[in-house]
Formats: sequence, C-alpha cells, structure tokens
Amino acid sequence: MTNSPSTTSPEAPGLARPHTRHFGSAAVWALSAAIIGYALVFGGYMATIVAFALIYAVFVSGLNVFMGLTAQVSFGQSAFAAIGGYTSAVLTTTYEWAPLPGMVAGLVFALVAAFLIGFPTLRLKGHYLAMATLAIGLITYEIAVEWESVTQGYLGISGIPPLGIGPFEAVSDRAILSVLSVIVVILAFAVTRIRRSRLGRAFSAVAGSEEAAGALGINVSRYKLVSFLIAAAIASLSGSLFVHVVGYVSPEVFGLHMVILAFTMVYIGGLGTVAGPLIGALIISILPEVFRGMKDYQDLAYGVTMILILIYAPKGIAGVAGALDARRSA
Amino acid sequence: MFQAKHQLIAGLVVALAFAGAAQAQETYKIGISAGLTGYAATVDRAWSDGVQTAVDVLNEKGGVMGRKLEVVIEDNRSNPQEAVTVYRKMVSSDQVNLFSSGCVSAGNAAAAPMVAKSEIPMILCSILPKDVEWAFTTLPPAGFEIEKRFEYLRDKTQIRKVGVLHDPTPYALLQKDVAQKVAAKYGIEVVSTEAYKQEDADLSVQLSKMQSAGAGAVMKIGLGGTTLTAAKNLKQLDSPMLLLTSLEDLAVFKPVAEVLGDKFFFVASPSQVFEAYPDGPLKTAIGQFLDPWKKKFGDRDPNWASRGWDSVMLAAKAIETGKSFEGQAVRENLEKITGFQGTTGVYDMSPTQHQGISSNPFVVAQIIDGQVRIAQ
Amino acid sequence: MTAAGTLEVVPPVLDVRGLTARYGHVEALKGVDLTAGRGELVAVLGPNGAGKSTLLRAIMGLIPNQGEVRFLDKSLPRRDPAGAANKGVVLVPEGRGIFGPMTVLENLELGAFAIGRDKAEMERRLNRVFELFPRVKERLKQVAGSMSGGEQQMVAVGRAMMSDPKVLLLDEPSLGLAPRVTGEILDTLGALSASGLPVVLVEQKAPLALKLACRAYLLSLGRIVATINPREVKSHDELAQYYFA
Ligand SMILES: Nc1ncnc2c1ncn2[C@@H]1O[C@H](COP(=O)(O)OP(=O)(O)OP(=O)(O)O)[C@@H](O)[C@H]1O
Ligand SMILES: [Mg+2]
Repeated sequence: MTNSPSTTSPEAPGLARPHTRHFGSAAVWALSAAIIGYALVFGGYMATIVAFALIYAVFVSGLNVFMGLTAQVSFGQSAFAAIGGYTSAVLTTTYEWAPLPGMVAGLVFALVAAFLIGFPTLRLKGHYLAMATLAIGLITYEIAVEWESVTQGYLGISGIPPLGIGPFEAVSDRAILSVLSVIVVILAFAVTRIRRSRLGRAFSAVAGSEEAAGALGINVSRYKLVSFLIAAAIASLSGSLFVHVVGYVSPEVFGLHMVILAFTMVYIGGLGTVAGPLIGALIISILPEVFRGMKDYQDLAYGVTMILILIYAPKGIAGVAGALDARRSA
Repeated sequence: MFQAKHQLIAGLVVALAFAGAAQAQETYKIGISAGLTGYAATVDRAWSDGVQTAVDVLNEKGGVMGRKLEVVIEDNRSNPQEAVTVYRKMVSSDQVNLFSSGCVSAGNAAAAPMVAKSEIPMILCSILPKDVEWAFTTLPPAGFEIEKRFEYLRDKTQIRKVGVLHDPTPYALLQKDVAQKVAAKYGIEVVSTEAYKQEDADLSVQLSKMQSAGAGAVMKIGLGGTTLTAAKNLKQLDSPMLLLTSLEDLAVFKPVAEVLGDKFFFVASPSQVFEAYPDGPLKTAIGQFLDPWKKKFGDRDPNWASRGWDSVMLAAKAIETGKSFEGQAVRENLEKITGFQGTTGVYDMSPTQHQGISSNPFVVAQIIDGQVRIAQ
Repeated sequence: MTAAGTLEVVPPVLDVRGLTARYGHVEALKGVDLTAGRGELVAVLGPNGAGKSTLLRAIMGLIPNQGEVRFLDKSLPRRDPAGAANKGVVLVPEGRGIFGPMTVLENLELGAFAIGRDKAEMERRLNRVFELFPRVKERLKQVAGSMSGGEQQMVAVGRAMMSDPKVLLLDEPSLGLAPRVTGEILDTLGALSASGLPVVLVEQKAPLALKLACRAYLLSLGRIVATINPREVKSHDELAQYYFA
C-alpha cells in the first residue's frame, strides 16, 4: 500500500443520497394532514383540540432539535414558552402593540434568557443539565406568579388580541388552523434543512458522542448552545401563538404539565424525526378525547395505549415509519 | 373579516332558532367545567354535587317550565388549557345551554370569550372574567369575609392591630387589598402583610414578624393545609395572637381547633352554622337546600355545594321570568334578578353588577368542644 | 529503565511533559512524559486501569489536566479539544466513537468538519482514505452502526485521517477484533508513520505493538515505569516482568 496523498481515482465519491421511497413517512404526513383536514372541515371542538395540538407541535419541534438532534435533555423549555407568551400578552394588551412585533420581542427576550442560562449550564452533563433546566422552568413559573404588576399573577392576562397582520386577523377556527398549519410545515421544512446542513451534522456528532465529536474538532459546547438557542426561539414562538389563539394567559399554562406533555409527544411521535413532533402532538392531544366517553377509565385507556405504542413503536410513530422506508430502500 | 363574523353570528342564530323549535322537549343542558382532579378538586367536586342536587330537585318537580334539566360535567384537571378544551367540547358536541362552572378562575377566564361568542350564559363559582357580559358569579364580594372579621374584632375584642397573611391566588390578593383599604373604617390598623405559598410547610417566620410588629390577631386569607401549619406555628411560638381564617371546608378546621382551641376563629357561611343561625328567609332558603343535600351526602360540608345550588336556582329564575330558554334572554333576565334569596345571601344583579350577592351573610364562628358555634 | 539510554532521538512533534489528571479524588495520571517525532510510531502499553486512555484524553484536553503538552514547539491549551483537533492532534477514541446512526460517508465527512464547504478538498481527502482502506469505499452508504467491528475501526481511523492530522492518537484499535483484521489495521498504521506521520498507539496486545513501534512506554498506575526499545525485548517473559513489577 502506498501512502501518497495524491489521488488517482477519477470517480467522485458520491455525495448524492440513494434514491429512496418514503411510503412510511408519507403515510405519517398523510395521517397528520387528514386529522387537520377533518378539523378544518368539521370544526367543533376538534378544531380547538387540533389547534392546541399544532401549537404543541411547534413547541415540541424546538424540543426535538435539542433532544432529538443534539441528544441533550431539558425540562425547562416551558420557561421560554412562558417568556414568549407573556411578552406577547403584556405588549399587546398593556402597551397595545401589534401581535407580530410582540412576538419578535418575545423571541429576543427568550434568546437572551437562553444565552444567559445556556452559557453556564451547557457545560454540565447528563442529569446535572436536566436538573438545572428543571429549576429554570420552576423559577420562571414563580416569576409569572409573583411579578403581579406585570403578569397579574394567577389572575392572568385576558383580552389578548388574535393572531394577525395588518387588517387580517385569524379569528375563525379555520383561519387559526390554517395559520398554525403553515407555521408547523415551515418549521418541519426548516428542521429538515438543519438536519442536512453542517450545523445538523455537528448536532448529530454531539448526539453520537461528545468525546468523539470534540476529538474531531467540533466545538461541543458551542453547538450545544446553538441548539439550545434554536429550541428556545421555537418554544417562545409557541408560547406567543398560544396566548393569541386563546386570548388569555396565566402561569399554569406554562407549568410542569406542559413539559410532561411535550416529552410524551416527542417520544410517541419519534425523537429526532421531522414528522415526529406533529404526529406525536396530534395523537397525544386526540387520544384523551377518543377515550373521554369512558369517563373514569379515560386515564387508564390512555395509559394502556401509550404503553402499547411504546412497545410496538419504541422509536415513536415517525421513527417506525422511517425504519420501514430504510428497510425497503436497502 | 367583519363581514364574516356577522355571517357567522347570523348562521348561529338561525341554527339556534331551528334547534330551539326542534328540541322543544329536549332537556335543558347545564354544563360544568370543574377541576375534579388537581388543586381545585375539593371545592369543585362539592360545587358540582350542589349543581346536581339542585337539578335533581327541580326535575322531581317536573323541571323548569316543563322542561327537564340535564347536567354535563367535564374534568378540566384544574388547568386552563384543559378548561378551554372541555368548554369547547360542551359547546359544540353537547350543545349545552348554560354553564354552572367551578372555581378554576384561570380556566373560566380562558374560555369566557369563546363561550360569550357562542352566546351561552355562565354562572360561576370563581371570580368574574374581565369584560365578559355573559358571565355571572355566586362568589361573595372580596370584602365580605374581611369586613366580618374586622367587625368581630372591633365589637368583641380589644385588638386594634392585625397582621394579614395571604397566599398568591387571585381571590386572596383581592381580599388582601380590601383589608388594607377598609381597616381604618373599623378603627383597626394592618401592621404587617405577609405572603405564603400553598405548599409552604412552615409559616413561623411570617408569624413572628407579625407578632413583633405588635399584631394582636392574624387574618389568614387562603385555603388548605397551611391553616393547620399556621396554628401549629403559633402554638410553638406560644403566641398570644388570635387566628382568624377565611371561609373553608369545616373538615379542615377540626384539627386546627384542637391545636388552638378558643384562640381560633373562622368566617363561616350560614349553611355551615345552620342550627345556630337566626330564623328568617335566609334560613328557610338554606333549609330547602340542606334537606336533599343531607339525604344524599350526610354531614359533608355544604358551603361550596350551596353556591352550586344557587347557580341553578338563579338560572331557573331567569328562565321563568323571561319565559325563554334562549341564551340571550336568559342572560338579560339574569341581569334583572333582584332580591333573590339564595343560600349564600340575597342576589341583586344588574347590567353592571354580575357579582350578585349584596348583603353580607357571613358570621365569625368557632369550634368549641367539637361543636361549631357562632363566636360570642 | 535500562533500555532508555540506547534509543535513537528524533526531534519531537508531540512533547508531553509532566502530565497529570484526576477523576474527582483519584489521581489517574501522575506526571507522564512522552514524545513522538516525525515518522515515529510510539506504543503505550500497560495493564487495565493503568491510565492509558486517560493519558490520551488528557493530551486532547477532553478531561481536566495539568502539565504541558508541546505540539510543533507551541504549548497546547489544556482544555480545548476542538482547538487541538483543528491544529492537527487527532484521537481515535477507545471503542471507536463511530456515529452509528450516520452513514459511513457522513462519518468520514465529519472528520473533515473544519474545512467547511470546500468540495474539492473533501474529495481529495476521501480518496486518500480510500487508498488506505479500499473496503470503506464500497460501504459509503451503509449505516455505520451496522458494520462489523473491523470495518468500523477502519472508518474510525479513516475519519481521523480526514482531518489531515499532524499527529494521530489511537486508543486500542485492536479491541475485540480478529487477528487478521487487527493485522490489516496495524499495517496501515505502520505505513502511515513510515510516511512521516507521528503515531501514538495505546495497545494491550504488546507483541503486536512492539513489532511496529520504535519506542514503547510502559504505564502502570498512572506512571511511566519503563521506556522500552522493542528491538531489545527478547522474550515475552521479559515484558511480563515489567507488567508485574
Ligand atoms: N470517568 C472516570 N471517572 C472516574 N474514574 C475513572 C474514569 N475513567 C477512568 N477512571 C479510572 O482511572 C484509572 C485509569 O483508567 P483508564 O481508562 O485510563 O485505564 P486504561 O489504562 O485505559 O485501562 P483499559 O486498558 O482497561 O482501557 C482507572 O483506575 C479507572 O478506574
Ligand atoms: Mg482504556
């Protein structure tokens, strides 16, 4: 064997991906579209449930970047949803801003907070990071309760205007669902792009092994921070969407409840997949309604279904679909 | 957009009119969004049972204007987002005609704009959502519990300095503000105001501060196990201060009375001191509720349930006055209710007053030798 | 220590001086000196728990450590693995550190993370890896986690080579591999060092390492207890003496 660094091979090593068929993934998207379509056509309380599911899909997309793509744990993402939500709420009510600038302001605050929090804590590993983020979520909740002059405490802020730009306002169920669907699709597209980009490669290297990534020249703490910032920005967006859609905000909205729900959604949907947050959010939101008729057995049925999904689809619904596609194309 | 809104409302009105004609003999549905689980569970379960009791009693008599009533209840898990979902479910799937919802203020506030858009009146256990002309409440004004306690201190004791100890819930905050505002009227001075959280396991710091500020009594505002905590701390501090607490389930008070004895006072609603309460129209009204309540639930505290009962009776009154089950008519006639004798007092509503209880029905009570009695 | 005096000396590319490292209260590395020069393959031998992996991690700056690591006559910052890698000090970690869910190609491309979007340079480096390990080229689209241990090790070494290292650190590349594959990989390493690249090879299989190495450090309980000239080691027994000393 020679060790000449010059290459003789005229053939370019292929950077193109093999042509794969994505039946499984397509089925997941089609199912999501069908659920949203049903809500759009028939309205009713399905519209409310799907609207909440879509807002959660936004939140979970952010969590998925941090947890799925980068394999970090944060129990505190609700803090950034709260920052976005409360900034929107306060600016559009007390200061009568339009929703869009309010949302942007929320995003900026969330990013600043995420930087100040992430810079020191992302040096921590494993459960230390998880504990630190949990504390951040709880502290933000406390601030929302105690800083009454701004947040009105448990009383909450009402009369928040609906989503809108200029003369267009999303008031009807259909308008709200359409706006939210567009946002979710844009986010899914963005996550696809991120995954294929250099940034995404760095994230998955950090996810694979921090030590190996570091040994290869990838600045692990910087990419963790970038991932955290992206997740925080998306969380903030979801918080703003929530307050404009409901027209009201109080601290309980962004409590631990939100974190638990989002974790369930990301695991049921498929951690690290593009379609996972959407299908996870839709299914977790609709399941309790399917079982509502069972009254006292509602929680039991919900729990059993959850366990069945995790047994038969341990990588989540989108994860299983993706695995089927991979097998088919291999 | 504006156009579309009008069309939507026009469509709704037409739909309702048709529905009204077709369903003349259908039941009149009363929806309850209640925190059957979560922090509001004790209060909201009692409230819901009160609503159900009233509905059963009215149905036995043939319903309201010949139409039977039906209760639809959904658990909002004491969470505002869940509340929006269950409200929406009851509006569009169950098509309820009226809400008698529980004490999760945030949930009621979050859902109120949507409910108002559907033109469904709501009679609540909680504080009123802002700017919603479709919402009414059975909650006594925040000042009542405070004023009764001040009155008692002024008339029956030498104590002229008090400390106010409150939790961060909206109703507690309102009451705290009232306390600071009206104290002077009773010749009393609030020398210290301290906050605590519902999950606090020790209040001795706050209590010591009050004592050193010269308070002769602690006015505690807020529900739950912290009352017992405060009592134990006072005992440990060997404090001479009296403890006067808010309205609460009697079950919570029994162990407190065992700790503090005759230094413990609480605000009681008339139904809680029924036997000792002076005869009159209020006692008669409570009696009508307590009979079926006791039959079903025995000695269970009737306080929250009695307000749930009132919410149904107010709705029935509004329907009978207007001779209409239609949402807008019920809303307007609820606003016209005056001098209505409920179990918690007399309700006087008006277009600008949706918190109807106008006279203070409360008493300050004690538990002596295991017996509840009006404090002397 | 008798052998040390007779070793030939090449100006060092990597010069480790008095390196110490601790995990909590446990001092796992107690002042280690080591050098590797152009064209040298130096072996680090020692029993389990001697601190071999710790030594490599400390050189990279992956764990807190004290002492000095001079690289091309400049001092390397002690806690900046990415910086060290970008300067040309590259580690193939224990257990390979392959990114299992990614394809072979994606793994290799990550090795050249620092060059960014320079496609021509990327291809030049890929071709060089294919020359070293022709088998890798056939498996570019395979998910790395589904490959055999030997293939994975080739990808791991190939990935390290993608960054165009100035010194290569390897932590037990033979671990869990069949003798034939091990031989193949070690031959490649030998060829790399012969072409000028300094290589630091941590190995448990001392005979294999000694065949290639120009110098071997014997590590025990975090200290270098002997520096060996492989040509002077006559038998296994002699080596075993050091192990159990
Ligand atoms: N992360 C860690 N935390 C605490 N102690 C550690 C850690 N890693 C290694 N050690 C300890 O440091 C010492 C040296 O470990 P090291 O992994 O460097 O040994 P090694 O020579 O590579 O062994 P092996 O041949 O088994 O790979 C051992 O006593 C080990 O238990
Ligand atoms: Mg090792």
